[in-house]
Amino acid sequence: MIRFRTKLTLTLAAIGVAALSTTSCKMNKADSLTVGDAASKVYVAPGKYDEYYAFLSGGFSGQMAVYGLPSGRLLKVMSVFSQNPETGYGYNEETKAMLQTTHGLVPWDDTHHPELSQTDGVPDGRWLFINGNNTPRIARIDLANFETTEILEIPNAAGGHASPFITPNSKYVVSATRFSVPVPNTDVPINSYKANFRGTLSFIRADQPGKMDIAFQILMPGYNYDLGHAGKGPSDGWFFFTTYNTEQAYTKLELNASQNDKDYIAAVNYNAAEKCVADGKAKSAPAKYMHNTMNEASRVASSETKQSVQMLDPRDCPGIVYLLPTPKSPHGVDVDPTGEYIVGGGKLATVIPVHSYTKLARAIADKQFDGEMQGIPILKYNATLAGEVKNPGLGPLHTEFDGKGFAYTSMFISSEVVKWKLGTWEIVDRIPTYYSIGHLMIPGGDSRKPWGKYLLAMNKITKDRYLPTGPELSQSAQLIDISGPKMKLLLDFPTIGEPHYAQAIPAELIKANSKKLYSLSGNTHPEVSKSEAATGIRRAGKAVHIKMVAIRSHFSPDNIEGVQAGDTVYFHVTNIEQDWDIMHGFALFGAPTSELILGPGETRTMKWVASAPGVYPFYCTDFCSALHQEMQGYLRVSAPGSNVPLSANTSPRAATQAARVSKAPVLANHGGMRGPAAQAPGGR
Amino acid sequence: MQVRRSPDRRTSPASHMKKLPRVLLVFSSLLLIAMFFLPLWHIRLEAPQYPEGISFYIMLRSIVGGGEFDLANVNMLNHYIGMKPIVAASIPELKWMPWIVGVLIITGLLAAWSGKYKALVAWVGVFTVTAIAGLADFYRWGYDYGHNLAPDAIIKIPGMTYQPPLIGTKQLLNFTAHSWPATGGIAAGIALAVGVLAVILATRGRRSLGAMALFGLLASGCAQTSAMPELAFDGREACAYCAMSITDPRTGGVVVTSKGKKYAFDSVDCLASFAATIDLASARVWVLDFEHPGKLLPVADALFVPAPAGLSIGMGGGRIAISSKNAGARPDAQRWDQLLAAAVAARSAVTGS
Repeated sequence: MIRFRTKLTLTLAAIGVAALSTTSCKMNKADSLTVGDAASKVYVAPGKYDEYYAFLSGGFSGQMAVYGLPSGRLLKVMSVFSQNPETGYGYNEETKAMLQTTHGLVPWDDTHHPELSQTDGVPDGRWLFINGNNTPRIARIDLANFETTEILEIPNAAGGHASPFITPNSKYVVSATRFSVPVPNTDVPINSYKANFRGTLSFIRADQPGKMDIAFQILMPGYNYDLGHAGKGPSDGWFFFTTYNTEQAYTKLELNASQNDKDYIAAVNYNAAEKCVADGKAKSAPAKYMHNTMNEASRVASSETKQSVQMLDPRDCPGIVYLLPTPKSPHGVDVDPTGEYIVGGGKLATVIPVHSYTKLARAIADKQFDGEMQGIPILKYNATLAGEVKNPGLGPLHTEFDGKGFAYTSMFISSEVVKWKLGTWEIVDRIPTYYSIGHLMIPGGDSRKPWGKYLLAMNKITKDRYLPTGPELSQSAQLIDISGPKMKLLLDFPTIGEPHYAQAIPAELIKANSKKLYSLSGNTHPEVSKSEAATGIRRAGKAVHIKMVAIRSHFSPDNIEGVQAGDTVYFHVTNIEQDWDIMHGFALFGAPTSELILGPGETRTMKWVASAPGVYPFYCTDFCSALHQEMQGYLRVSAPGSNVPLSANTSPRAATQAARVSKAPVLANHGGMRGPAAQAPGGR
Repeated sequence: MQVRRSPDRRTSPASHMKKLPRVLLVFSSLLLIAMFFLPLWHIRLEAPQYPEGISFYIMLRSIVGGGEFDLANVNMLNHYIGMKPIVAASIPELKWMPWIVGVLIITGLLAAWSGKYKALVAWVGVFTVTAIAGLADFYRWGYDYGHNLAPDAIIKIPGMTYQPPLIGTKQLLNFTAHSWPATGGIAAGIALAVGVLAVILATRGRRSLGAMALFGLLASGCAQTSAMPELAFDGREACAYCAMSITDPRTGGVVVTSKGKKYAFDSVDCLASFAATIDLASARVWVLDFEHPGKLLPVADALFVPAPAGLSIGMGGGRIAISSKNAGARPDAQRWDQLLAAAVAARSAVTGS
């Protein structure tokens, strides 16, 4: 009977999709603004700035994209979990460590949920966190330079989906396992799922850059954990996670995990959990995981392997977790700006259930339990329920808030955004999306203080929305004006990868802090050359290290000889410019790796094995100046055992010029490497 | 604080200053201290690639970039045109200029303390000469940087030199160079002006011709452009247009060009006819107020009306100038631009141009 009902729901859903797609074209014309109106609202004149920075996850690209809103202009793609040959991230010697895991260098991941750091529950523009879903990791991006500066691997987990949602003062970001797995991960029969598989909720200390660490993990029943959000205001100190597959299926979850009428939202009192850890109630469990950090001064990443976590079993610490029955395979769990309402997005449900924090606290005090699961009390559904939004549409997933008492829920199956009123649970407006919306985002819409002017719908399917580009089409984002009583579609733009979720923040909170260059005098890279005089070449057995500078419009040295086939050559190239937006690149003929891209003041290293005698040109790949095309050089490779002496030269004329310019105080060597390495240039 | 006035000062001989010039001298001297801390000159470069501009400041003892790396970037860019890098260590003036300013400050205070009038005059004189020499030296360095280029420069444009302006704005290839005094330089200028003012105040009522001559010379730059020209009506001056003698203090006017050259006229019509032949852009024009003989009106304050019957003016044409304040609503009155336009039209008719 239950099975039949499910099938019926899905069939109805399919009919709904069909019905909606036939009506949506008409709705589109009727509902949208006149074209000129909408255009003027998203037009940002040349040379003018957007009002918001929006950070959209790149999904299966493993990266993150920065867009301006309302224009939808792509400003940058930030390298996070995937190697990026465009920038050399994960290819050059300095950044390979960022992608290290206990499984080795993982060159890709699946980014899902960007999360801005918060102060007092409001996004503050310091950092951005994002999860790697496949090999669970959390990355920190520094919003002063828009670069990944730290990545922490999450042990005892697989599929870090409910991540990296943040607590109101950025103390913790969380990561809950999507897959339950054996903890610790060992060789067990898959059909021993119920006995051996467990979920974990990780609380990761996040308020110290470069020092992310797992404060504790909570051992949970073997469910799938989907999404999470921190409480705020009255519910501050609580964290809410959705679960599905409370059926504990391990095969054909599509069917087997869709049987229960209700799954759970797990409410975690992390203040109480913290106290239990402090009281020694957590066990130190062996767990190997890596922590990779980018040193700010040297801009060299390094990895550290950690060996254990504090594991907290709720049975050892009653009162830290409660389960709130929630229909039906809930996806999103979203807390309204006041912190009172906890909205579940039951993706197969016919209502949007909303729990009340006040009722939750009372139900716990009154012990209104309906059984327990592995020592975790299950609360009665009606004891915590504040209300249900009836007939919202099909497939509610995620809810954000405008700060004016309204909530907006994305409906995947019926492909629309539904606006409803908190407290009365009545639907006040709906707007179609094109097509199959996943997350939606209002700047600050998951925080204590939303900037409720725009809503961004992120869609999975674009079909006929843009010029066709073969079987694979882009995903899209749609900007909707929510400033008035009726939602209005303003703009529709394609995105990189799959924008699962996004965050946005007023530009002023980031713009002024944006870095213009890396300090050359503060560059502590072990192979930096701070001036042309500090460049050079040295041999250490079969390794040859070339210290080189790039400055408009030449490399120094640019003629290198004495390398022999079989040598491993390290090009340590420093961009000694100290000028905004003056980048240089370095690419070597035939090198089986990416180019280097060098920010002003930055050192990057290409490792290359010289395999065959010959002459190998190299050149600057980032158009730097009028004489960019002259910015090139040659490396000569001789046969093994050849008597060609090792040399790294620039022309005498260039050396004279360099000496002239380097008289200028700021370009002078600030105590960088001297000694043998410094002797080569000009020594012909 | 009560300033003690010694009896011998109150009855001071003519060679001593009064209180105000001394205070001004102290102020002027102390103001020079600003030169040690504030930038004297600011040179700023803008280009399409540098909308935010890059700049550097000339200080008394050093040269510093507007931003941390601006000076290095200026030098970096200048290597393309083969200009020598701007390096403070290679400019010896930056070593001894502080001493000169220091000596000026101390001697200024000493001069004020001595109260001697001649000390004041001498100090301001030395200050003036130093300032002129400093600017000349600055120009010389600019010339050297702009002209003395590496023979193998990357970018060589025949005839192109890169001397920044001493003061003002100049286009140098893709860069617009602005060069203006900065706060320290302005402070020094004010100090000099205050010194000159002290001399003028101390000189007033005194028959010190030497001092008057010196400061007359200094002030002449201002006087030439701002003071009202004088006209004689005894027949010694002739009309610059019709060559007739100027005798009537009620009619005519005078033009002083930007270079200070004076042209006198016996009638406003002659003046207008003359004005139609030259570029009046930076010249100053006055006309004689018919109702107040001998009084010159700036031409903008004048209206031109037909002369009373029977009055013979110059070559005829017959207009006189009256103050616009007194003209009331006379329908026959013309403004200067109208009179000038008529003269230009008349000239075109004659020359056919």
